[in-house]
Amino acid sequence: MPTVAAAQERHAVRPGFAYPKDREVKIVVFRPDVRVGTLTAGGLDEPNADWTATARTLIAAEIERAHGVQGATVSFVGEPEGEDGVRLAQYRALFGAVADAIMIHRLFVGNRLQSKKEGLDWTLGEGVSALADATGADYGLFLFTHDAYGSSGRKAAQIFGAMFGVAVIPGIHVGYAGLIDLKTGDVIWLNADPQMGGDVRTPEGAQKRVGQLLDGLPGRPVEAPATAKRN
Amino acid sequence: MLAVSSLLAGSMVPQSSAAPGQEASPPVTQAAYVPKDKDERGLWMMADEEERQLRTSNFVIRDPAINAYVRDVLCRTIGQAECAPIRLYVVRTPYFNATSAPNGMIQVWSGLFLRVRNEAQLAAVLAHEYVHYRDRHFLLLWRELRARAGSATFLSMFGLIGSLVAMGQLSTVFSFSRDQESAADSGAVYMLANAGYDTRESALVWGQIRDEADATAAARQAKSRKDKNGGIFATHPPTADRMTALFALSEKVKANGEPVNGVDRYHAMLATLWPSLIDDQIKLNDLGATEFLLASLAGGTWTADLLYARGETYRARGAAGDFEKAAGFYREAMAQAPANPEVRRGLGLSLLRLDSADEGREQLKEYLRLKPDAVDAPMIRMLAGG
Amino acid sequence: MIRRILSFAAAAALLLAPQSATAGWKAIAQGKPIAVAKTGLTVTAPSGVWNRWSLRPSKKSELWTKDGLALNELAFYSGVTSGEPIFREVDKKNSPLPKFNSKMLAPDVVALFEASNRIALKTSLFSVDSVEPAQFVGQPGVRFTFTYSVQNNDLVRKGEARAAVLRGQLYMITFIAPSIYYFDNGIADARAIMDSAVLLPVAAK
Repeated sequence: MPTVAAAQERHAVRPGFAYPKDREVKIVVFRPDVRVGTLTAGGLDEPNADWTATARTLIAAEIERAHGVQGATVSFVGEPEGEDGVRLAQYRALFGAVADAIMIHRLFVGNRLQSKKEGLDWTLGEGVSALADATGADYGLFLFTHDAYGSSGRKAAQIFGAMFGVAVIPGIHVGYAGLIDLKTGDVIWLNADPQMGGDVRTPEGAQKRVGQLLDGLPGRPVEAPATAKRN
Repeated sequence: MLAVSSLLAGSMVPQSSAAPGQEASPPVTQAAYVPKDKDERGLWMMADEEERQLRTSNFVIRDPAINAYVRDVLCRTIGQAECAPIRLYVVRTPYFNATSAPNGMIQVWSGLFLRVRNEAQLAAVLAHEYVHYRDRHFLLLWRELRARAGSATFLSMFGLIGSLVAMGQLSTVFSFSRDQESAADSGAVYMLANAGYDTRESALVWGQIRDEADATAAARQAKSRKDKNGGIFATHPPTADRMTALFALSEKVKANGEPVNGVDRYHAMLATLWPSLIDDQIKLNDLGATEFLLASLAGGTWTADLLYARGETYRARGAAGDFEKAAGFYREAMAQAPANPEVRRGLGLSLLRLDSADEGREQLKEYLRLKPDAVDAPMIRMLAGG
Repeated sequence: MIRRILSFAAAAALLLAPQSATAGWKAIAQGKPIAVAKTGLTVTAPSGVWNRWSLRPSKKSELWTKDGLALNELAFYSGVTSGEPIFREVDKKNSPLPKFNSKMLAPDVVALFEASNRIALKTSLFSVDSVEPAQFVGQPGVRFTFTYSVQNNDLVRKGEARAAVLRGQLYMITFIAPSIYYFDNGIADARAIMDSAVLLPVAAK
């Protein structure tokens, strides 16, 4: 953890960004990509539909309850059908590629592109306004979380592994979220963390995870100490 | 790809997938089946996610006639009620395989249509995948894998001896998987017989696949990989064993009345798809396999399309003597189809490489005359001398 | 060739292992001739937005990007000789790559590039959209465009390339980017770099 923290930043915001003040802006949340399972002692990433369904519901409820974005309303959209569905799928894929680039070249300090060391200068392009037209929103929020908890077998292996000097990763807890300006396509904010906290299978954990995923989102109160206390 | 079990894994497919297990044959549920416990719901969820992506994927071949035909063969083989919950996807991937997922999604790879030779063989593959789904092979394999893999890591922490024990633990998982494949193979034979198909075709598929591996190897001057299936870690039985077992079973289990293989119907339905699939195959840089497949599609009657494909195959490789051969095949194709522009293009480009520049340029001019709006017209015009 | 399938898993692995993955990126100076892949192939960038990667996919190639390889990739191939593939072989036993030949005509080079990509990316969704004569490194060469997707990803990518065979060796520059926004955003710069390409004698070592 310490080396990771030293080499990596968790989020980045477009410099000088502020929501327009003359009106209440609308943020739309696209279907969060949530997957929860167990990392078994053998290293298999085992899917768990019940946990995933629970987590998806809890995360959505938590965003609904405590999104707390000052100066904005937050709403959810389902998966559109037909042409809109294809377009959203393409932009979701483009967002994935852009998020990868930001994680690799911005948040990971050692791999920064010399030409864009500062700021946060990535975009999905103006064509994204088609999503604004379809949803009536000003901003779009994409969320991705993937968890695999250590099973009891794995926890035993960790204890024995530690005794014998073998490193066993306790579980997978990765997540990223990004806010896109649906008029310009600009990435306003991106947050990524390969080792997230919060057991998303419980309301408290989902609260912590959403807090972490949305950490640094413009318009949110600074709340890192508060989440630590809550859990 | 863990959520999917496949028809074969191993040397002939660059990506291998995990596979399924047997026992427990639940009665076919007429109502839609719902997953019963935590494990099964987890596997379904992953398969559902994959299927969600397939719905917008441009890799899915959506031609209604092809889809209707493949579905018809499936339903005719496994029964109308049984096939109702199955979703079939034809995926543009130029290798021989089909996969089934725990949620009832079956994917058929486009390369399969170049490799099965009649409807009975297609039915055998589809029925094989259906048995994996019906008998919930993946769920059983998953449990086996989880149980064994757990102790494998545990033991592997204890040095060489521990690692060897760990490998032994895992190899039982793979043998479990191989048993499931055999179960799916034999389950499919009974369905073929019920549907009136010639059950021997289920074994003949494997003979063809082995011969193709030999052809690939011969052209590359390498050792055939037909028996390479990963040894004790293979998820699927050796193709030779599968073929032998299927021949033996097909002697015992036969259709009532005169068995059919549906070769004419198969050819009529898929002939329109073949040119694009052959193009995908040619670009795999595997001359031996391509020649083998073209010969089997020809069945002794070389059409202009197949001769053209043969010319393209040799021209693409471009080894010593290949341009002469290619030019020969293009000329034969041209005799049958003088108005086919692509044949002229292939012949012209071959002749330029053979230093028969004048005739080559004439052929390229003919290509441009026949296909003035070709994507490469400006380039070819220059090569043709303006 | 390092592939454009830098998935999230790969990104996460990189984030988890920062010490081991210290690939360096150097900014390309605007308007200054740059020797690529330690060969005589020399180009000049019209703007100061490009970065070159210290990790080269092969001895005869080099990668540049503006925003990340998944978003805009400028690849240089310099001096590929007869019998060599254009990418590095990954699975030579099962999926060997086709090899360049010094006698290849322009359409053959395009076919070589297409087949190499289909094999390396394991995709059949690759189409060549245009092929026309063009000057490159001061030689009559070819300019071609293409479109492709890889499996399990909805992103469509577009590309444009310039290539020429000189003294029996292949020289090529390709620009590849998502068809949404990034291709149009980068192509003018990429074309200017392709236009600027010259072959200079390599200084004796």
